[in-house]
Amino acid sequence: MVSAALNLEAELGKDGRIAPMPRRVEIALRDVCVEYPAGRNGVKRVLSGINLDILEGEFVTILGETGCGKSTLLRLILGQEFPSSGAVVVDSKPVRRIDARCGYVPQKYSLFPDRTALGNVIYGPENARSSMFGRFRPSYRRFRKTLREEAVAFLASMGLRRQDMDKYPHQLSGGMQQRVAIAQALMMRPPVLLMDEAFSALDPSTRSSLQEQLHKVWLDSRPTVVFVTHNTQEALLLGTRLILLGRHGDEQAEKSNVLLDMKIPPSNEPYARRSHSAEFHELHEYVKQVAYKSSSMHRCEDATQPLNAEGIL
Amino acid sequence: MKPSFHPGDLVGIQVRPTRLWTQSLSWVLFVAGIALYVHLAVVRHQENPYDRVVPTAKQLYTGMKNAALQPAEEDMPLDASATLWQRVHASMLWKDTMASARRFLIAIALLIPCIFLGLHMAIFPYFGAVFQRFVLFFDKIVALSLLPILFIVFGIEEWSKIMLMVIGVGPTLILDTFNIAKSVPQEQVVKAFTLKSSNLDVAYRIVFKQVLPQIINSVRLSLKPLALFLFAGEMIASTDGLAYRIALMRRHMGMDVILPYLLWVALLLFLLDALLRFANRRLHPWYQPH
Repeated sequence: MVSAALNLEAELGKDGRIAPMPRRVEIALRDVCVEYPAGRNGVKRVLSGINLDILEGEFVTILGETGCGKSTLLRLILGQEFPSSGAVVVDSKPVRRIDARCGYVPQKYSLFPDRTALGNVIYGPENARSSMFGRFRPSYRRFRKTLREEAVAFLASMGLRRQDMDKYPHQLSGGMQQRVAIAQALMMRPPVLLMDEAFSALDPSTRSSLQEQLHKVWLDSRPTVVFVTHNTQEALLLGTRLILLGRHGDEQAEKSNVLLDMKIPPSNEPYARRSHSAEFHELHEYVKQVAYKSSSMHRCEDATQPLNAEGIL
Repeated sequence: MKPSFHPGDLVGIQVRPTRLWTQSLSWVLFVAGIALYVHLAVVRHQENPYDRVVPTAKQLYTGMKNAALQPAEEDMPLDASATLWQRVHASMLWKDTMASARRFLIAIALLIPCIFLGLHMAIFPYFGAVFQRFVLFFDKIVALSLLPILFIVFGIEEWSKIMLMVIGVGPTLILDTFNIAKSVPQEQVVKAFTLKSSNLDVAYRIVFKQVLPQIINSVRLSLKPLALFLFAGEMIASTDGLAYRIALMRRHMGMDVILPYLLWVALLLFLLDALLRFANRRLHPWYQPH
């Protein structure tokens, strides 16, 4: 009964969004299902029945508890993994390999340790311009000079000081590293930016300043962003759309993992103020409750106290 | 305030000895070794002034001087008018060092393809599929047991000795490079591909560049086994080289030559190792050993 109500809600949200904005579909997942072999003859289903249309310019946050398949979903879009059944289409081409359609910012190891911050940022555009052997032409030098200037300006707008740009990643703080990593990905102007728990290893104040920064960058260039996190507040603050994934229960093989797919009302208030507003709290509590109801811990309690669970709804 | 010294501190883990103390203690065993040697030499020379087993400093000096300035017994003697440079150039030590160094450096050059094989095995799945099991098997073969086959295939001249070194160290180096390159986080490869890298870019400009300091360290560790195989080969079948001379001198107890030779070999290995370490630090300032 609970699941039926949620599905209805998800569809409502979808209808309400598509009608006013006829935008291009950037990422499409059709009946995607991912299974891993587990044990001798069993399979473990991580994702099942995923049908998602992510529109151009959307900022989608994917929220869920550990092991619910949110990183798997990201790797599907990236092309690092492939669905057991179903199709993944990015930028109107099916995903076969990891390529430059997506920018990628992981939680750790996001920068090349052997390059300076500036070297990291110009690596991508250099590659895009010419292969390993096209670097000896004189026009390449001119290109490199303008590219460097562009990269310096971009890094400065991301809040890096000039003297930090020639430092190696291990000399930068975690927050600075992630700033550089975002700049590195965005220098390629990818249609899609994928972020996998990108801010999860940062302390709270660095984290919120990076959230503000990311929001600013997103407003400037409007890439399609898929942001995986396990922090509800982060998901609600950053996103224009929230997708809540639940752990797949083996008892209902065909049930979709998507617990909630909703649009987040836009707001121009700064994050610090917005996160203290009453509506925000209400939304936060609501998402947490939906997540809690599907969590494995709750399912255990559910068996002994079925009435209590209904009471929360 | 610093706590005063207590005899029990000598076996304590939390003690903080001063720099002066640690530095002086680090020389204690050297001094003790030299003292023991001198004592033995004095005692033995009291019994027999011509003792050759534990030569005195004077005997060692003569032996070293002859080795560095005189040709070997089997070579043509120099005429008295030869310059110092000619003397050094024709000397036993110089010729032996050159012969051994040549074999050693050729073997190192032949090990470079092994490094790239290991790298490719780690990065390209089909390379790994073809080579990994075979190299693992080959690594378990004791290289010295292949020596008879090597003599048949390569003759008893230079190449059998060089191949002994390559076969002895190569598989280990391949597997080590493989493991090092495998330990590069997957995020790095994924990130590189999203930045429009080609396969070769990922292999050489991302992974290889990143693991090069670790590979050089691995080569540094392989110097010792390389020298070991070189010496085994030279002692068994050779007509020149440092180990050949040591084996030859052993027959008539020529400790006055053997001792300087082994210290010379140790010094050469130390210098090569130091050179690689220094180059590693200078070339890769970003490297953080973990």
